[in-house]
Amino acid sequence: MANHRCGSVSEEEPCCDISKKTKICLCVFFGLLVAVIIAVPVGILMWRHPLQEWKGKGTTAHFYEILLGRCYTYTQIVRPELGHKDCQKIGKAFTTAFLSKDPCSSTEQDYQPLLELTAQTVPCNKTLFWSKSSQLAHDYTRVQGDLFTLEDTLLGYMADGLKWCGDPRSSEMNYQSCPDWREDCSNNSFSVFWNAVSKRFAEDACGVVHVVLNGSISNTFDERSTFGRVEVFNLRPEKVHQLQAWVMHDVGGVHSDSCSSSSVNNLKRILKERSIAFSCQNNYGPIRLLQCVKNPEPSSCRFYV
Amino acid sequence: MTARGLTPSLLLQLLVVAGAAGARWRGQGTTPHLQSIILGRCAEYDALVNPDPRGRNCTAIWEAFKVVLVKDPCSVLPSDYDRFIDLSRHSIPRDKSLFWENNHLLVTSYSENGLRFLPLCSVLYGRIGDFLSWCRQENASGLDYQSCPTSEDCENNAVDSFWKRASMQYARESSGVISVMLNGSEPSGAYPVKGESCGEGTVKILEERLKKMGFQYSCINDHLPVKLLKCVDHSTHPDCVLNSAAASREIPPLWAEHGASHIVPFLVALASAVHM
Repeated sequence: MANHRCGSVSEEEPCCDISKKTKICLCVFFGLLVAVIIAVPVGILMWRHPLQEWKGKGTTAHFYEILLGRCYTYTQIVRPELGHKDCQKIGKAFTTAFLSKDPCSSTEQDYQPLLELTAQTVPCNKTLFWSKSSQLAHDYTRVQGDLFTLEDTLLGYMADGLKWCGDPRSSEMNYQSCPDWREDCSNNSFSVFWNAVSKRFAEDACGVVHVVLNGSISNTFDERSTFGRVEVFNLRPEKVHQLQAWVMHDVGGVHSDSCSSSSVNNLKRILKERSIAFSCQNNYGPIRLLQCVKNPEPSSCRFYV
Repeated sequence: MTARGLTPSLLLQLLVVAGAAGARWRGQGTTPHLQSIILGRCAEYDALVNPDPRGRNCTAIWEAFKVVLVKDPCSVLPSDYDRFIDLSRHSIPRDKSLFWENNHLLVTSYSENGLRFLPLCSVLYGRIGDFLSWCRQENASGLDYQSCPTSEDCENNAVDSFWKRASMQYARESSGVISVMLNGSEPSGAYPVKGESCGEGTVKILEERLKKMGFQYSCINDHLPVKLLKCVDHSTHPDCVLNSAAASREIPPLWAEHGASHIVPFLVALASAVHM
């Protein structure tokens, strides 16, 4: 454009005849052009790789909207007795716990404000733990509405199935990837969250508590599971006087473990050391019925006629 | 009224009663934080349940829904939701449709979150409205959080018109084998005209209507998987005892039902749609 203007003035006369103003304008224009030529590739490079790359799946799309919507659904509809909770504050406390931070250096302290805002009383005798039996345990509490798994409490309900992490060099959530527990780091913001809330869920339990275990796998009580590592050790003996286990076998499936197997006896021993009584039942009736709903296998699911 | 001498919960109860006594309509008021709940449900559906490869615009869906919130509470027509439905509709897999009457919670449990069936409340536009209530104030522009009209107050209310429009869409998008779950112990009759078993009473009316419309149908009393599900809540009832070695019966159940209600024949009518 400038050349054209220069050219149109006169092709024979040199360009130093143009006015000072125009010279300044041209300088500024070229200066900007150069700046843009340099800045754009740099910007693109930075935009393409500004966040750390991890081996695990990234933050769930629309994480914040989902979180907030679930908080309101839970406090207004599912458990309206919690209607006084401030979901805006809770949402803020959640994201503050991990945004702009190294996702591999997460601590329980990061989640303390969130835990305080979402404190909830689960009635005694209504706590239901689960291990390697998520689908069945949640199918059961969906039907038996007065029992609570962790995912039936406010905070568990909000976070269930979601993934999240931040980045120290950005105030944004990392939607591309998040640390994998095994391949990247174990103190990641996701795992630390679930450890912290599981711990509190166990600490808050009282009376007789229950656990749904999977008898169709080996190692039905797994000391490396969240139940085995965190929840069992955070039950308070002065509040919880008994843990009752329901060992469920897949309908028509393998009977790998049962109440009498060694892994379950291990659980019994651990609880005894903590002064908590233990009882166990194979294929607890109501949950067996639920399994039969999905899979009305003739030998295990026929009614007594 | 002074608060002295009254415990906070008693005061609250009195206020609620006073509020209810002064309520304009018979139905529940607008759900608080309606916008956040709807946006959240839409976002969740798109991120976790059934992502649309073209990408759903939840803000646009909310804007389309919002138009009824400025209308007079008794002047909302099903067609007012046309744009909303247009933006939120999606196909329903063949043979997965489940219609129902008088058994919302059972249907939700039985459908297993869309795995077994996809009832209206598992479809995006149904999920958005599920368990919510909304209406504008009668003589002002804001939302009415005290009460909203039911069909007894006026026919063209926001919530009923929503479900009419949503149900119409759901029925139109259904194909293959259609299932209907009816409540045989409903005193006014399983098929809401007023039968308790296949071929009898009100169910016979449904069967004849379907026949007239040219649909093939079949009816099952006491469909086993559903009976099993009902039994979860009544496991000590004599009709619910399983005849299998694997189920343990000797240990007294922790949750004995007080006065176990009778398990009535449970109806599932299967109507085979001839079209599509």
